[in-house]
Amino acid sequence: MKNGLRVVIAPDTTAPVVTVGVYYKIGFRLEPQGRSGFAHLFEHMMFQGSENAPKMQHIKLINSSGGVLNGSTMYDVTNYYEAVPSNALERVLWLEADRMRALKVDEENLINQRDVVKEEVRVNVLNQPYGGFPWLDMPPVAFRNWANAHNFYGDFADLDAASLADVQKFFRTYYVPNNAVLLMLGDVIPQEGLALAEKHFAPIAAGAPPVFADPAEPPQTEERRGYVEEKFGTLPAMAIAYVLPPRRTPEWYAMALLDQALHGGRAGRIHRELVLEKQIAVEADGGVDDVFGYNGPTQMTTRILHKPEYSAEQSLKAFDAVLREVQEQGITLEELEELKVKWRSDYYSTLEGGRGGSMPRYGLMHLLACFTLFDNEPQLVNTILEGFMAVKREEIQAVAKKYLRPENRAIVFRTPVSKVAKEAA
Amino acid sequence: MATHAPQVAAAAPALTAERAVTWPKRTRARLSNGLQVVLAEAHAIPKFHGELFFRSGEALVSDRSVGLAEMTSTVLRTGTAKRTSRQIEEDLRRLGADLGASAGQDTSAISFAGLSEFAEPLLQLVNELAREAAFPEAEFERERRQKLEEVKLERASPGFLAGERLRKVLFGAHPYARISPSEEQVTAYQREDLERVYREIYTPENALLVLVGDFDPRTMLKIIEKIFGNWTGKKPTAKEAVAPPQLRARRVYLVHNPGSVQTQILAGCHAITRKHPDWIRVGLTNSLYGGAFNSRLVMNIREDKGYTYSPRSGVTPLRQHGYFSVSAAVRNDVVAASLTEIFYELDKLRSLPVPAAELADAQNYLTGLFSMGLATQEGLLSQFSTSELHELPEDYLETYRGKVRALTSAELLAAARKYLDSANMQIVVVGDRAQIEEQAALFGEVETYDSQGKRIGG
Repeated sequence: MKNGLRVVIAPDTTAPVVTVGVYYKIGFRLEPQGRSGFAHLFEHMMFQGSENAPKMQHIKLINSSGGVLNGSTMYDVTNYYEAVPSNALERVLWLEADRMRALKVDEENLINQRDVVKEEVRVNVLNQPYGGFPWLDMPPVAFRNWANAHNFYGDFADLDAASLADVQKFFRTYYVPNNAVLLMLGDVIPQEGLALAEKHFAPIAAGAPPVFADPAEPPQTEERRGYVEEKFGTLPAMAIAYVLPPRRTPEWYAMALLDQALHGGRAGRIHRELVLEKQIAVEADGGVDDVFGYNGPTQMTTRILHKPEYSAEQSLKAFDAVLREVQEQGITLEELEELKVKWRSDYYSTLEGGRGGSMPRYGLMHLLACFTLFDNEPQLVNTILEGFMAVKREEIQAVAKKYLRPENRAIVFRTPVSKVAKEAA
Repeated sequence: MATHAPQVAAAAPALTAERAVTWPKRTRARLSNGLQVVLAEAHAIPKFHGELFFRSGEALVSDRSVGLAEMTSTVLRTGTAKRTSRQIEEDLRRLGADLGASAGQDTSAISFAGLSEFAEPLLQLVNELAREAAFPEAEFERERRQKLEEVKLERASPGFLAGERLRKVLFGAHPYARISPSEEQVTAYQREDLERVYREIYTPENALLVLVGDFDPRTMLKIIEKIFGNWTGKKPTAKEAVAPPQLRARRVYLVHNPGSVQTQILAGCHAITRKHPDWIRVGLTNSLYGGAFNSRLVMNIREDKGYTYSPRSGVTPLRQHGYFSVSAAVRNDVVAASLTEIFYELDKLRSLPVPAAELADAQNYLTGLFSMGLATQEGLLSQFSTSELHELPEDYLETYRGKVRALTSAELLAAARKYLDSANMQIVVVGDRAQIEEQAALFGEVETYDSQGKRIGG
């Protein structure tokens, strides 16, 4: 559109349901320094009222149309999405346009949502066994650039310091149409969808193009290690993370399949070796969290909970042996073919669903949004699979050698505090 | 809430004409060995989703030990007469398939999804797991030790501790009270226990196979007959379970979790099963109370007061009994305040008819949500399975929306008075005793437990 908003429509009339998403190209990675957790707090504020839909109206209007909604803050994007019966399409677009144009929140809303976010952090992190492990524990150990290394959920002091002025500034800087993509998927006729987008979003003025800080990391020259106390759980845990090759390079495709070879469920080499064969670990899984959805340094992370009778070093040695085998022997052609079939099958499932039964086409929405915002090429959704299907055995072995090195990894050990200390408290 | 009467968004576009909600046609069949089959087409992706259910689970066998049905489902994927554990996992990958096996109180199930082009070999593997699981000794031993670590670990989760206590309170000597085994019980599991459960539960007469996806039902039915047709076995004999206790007056069960920086509240009372004629009324009442983002409880203790992130309520429809529950993880200093609001909203629904506009909104929500399942193979599978397993009328899916829309405020008031049993709610709080005991005691006599389930006070 003239104001820079990109619109992507993927029609499919199987069911009378339409999924609408708005993605903004700002996540927690590039939130302001001194305001850790702000991007996520801001996401909550987007549900607190806009000029024509005051507090509670947004949620009320979606639910009472028979739909569900949510939002989430990721590394490099923040999304807002709704799945509704298709007769509510215009209402949803009106709501999304209203909050893109004129967010209207006050001090009381901010204090309320700051409290809600603190309870979210408590329920997901501070009061849970292995809460935030490793997604919050890893960044400060692995990275040196504040953008990649800070607490994404937010230090409570930083959350308390967040002001209404911060909210308005963040909104004006990043929540401009030229920094967003609007998506409609499912029961929508493209011409009608475009006309409705034009009607509701065209009046929103473009903003200055946001200036983004550089998330690049200084070169890493040695393995990095960090230690965190586990307050509730009884098993020692560790997470080992390797920085990935840049997006959409031949190495990246190979790395994604290598990730499947290592972490693909019970057939994955790490689980098979550590849990099923050697029986050192109770859990050994992980991988690349969202291979398409990031736009800066990211990692492939293995999470291991091991039995207390094995030391951390013993467990790590067993893990290293699994990687060494791939580096030395590579994988067989048969394994590669299996990995490709599984990858293809998983890709279809991503397109259809992705977030449980009541959020159809979440995965397709996410891919289209990321390919639009990061690559300016939503059509990649039709061709990206070819890159994975073309990976050769030698490439897998080569990326294993090049990327799975100690100088490219960080390890976090999360160790239970002694039971005695806990009872005394 | 009274000070925050929502303003109305005057300019919101009206809803346009609704497109018809049409559930795909189901092909239903019963093989001569008793296996019930439901098939439906959904062609958006070249895959299919399936689940082979058995209509028995923990409740059938928990007089022997707790968790045996679940353990049986865990070990059955670790080897058959023809394949080792590793072969099974690699074959699944080769077929682009996912597979899970699990057991609940009333059912055991093998669920799977895979590429349509490999439907037959995947069904052959499922058939092997259902009929020829070998329960290899070494695999059993590993899974048993693994389970031992899991049961230790789950006692660190406030959500688990709350759920376990509430079920014990609501169900007493009934099998539904037992949701997870003790370490001693897991240590005592025998491989033969699992084989016995397997022989009893995993039979065609006890089974329901539901498949949804990109296939032709006639061809698929032939494949199913070829693969599962010569399987034999009778339904296990159902046992009469003791009645759950009648609970009178609110009581508080405090599970002491030292160092807890938040309190998990979970309160519940007996309700009804899904087959009960009042089910849809209770469902809509729950949706108004705390079953939706836009519900009264969420608006009150989250959006107005900021006590909690994720309050919710729900009705759990087990086959023999159902129960209503409400949960919230709240700041330690607002446990009493949160419980006050939880009961305030319950009592309000029990006292005053729901205003017409709010009723219409909730009806729209529930009917809309119901249709979301149409858009994915998994969503369809879930709706068809629920309908079959709870033995709902054949037109349940087709008539549900109409029934929801026909409900009146008077009917909801009656349902709330009958099933949201505020005066007799059983209240579980999991948190640090020193910080919450006085607050909790305002709501009833307190019994205190440690995280191992041992009574330590009150």
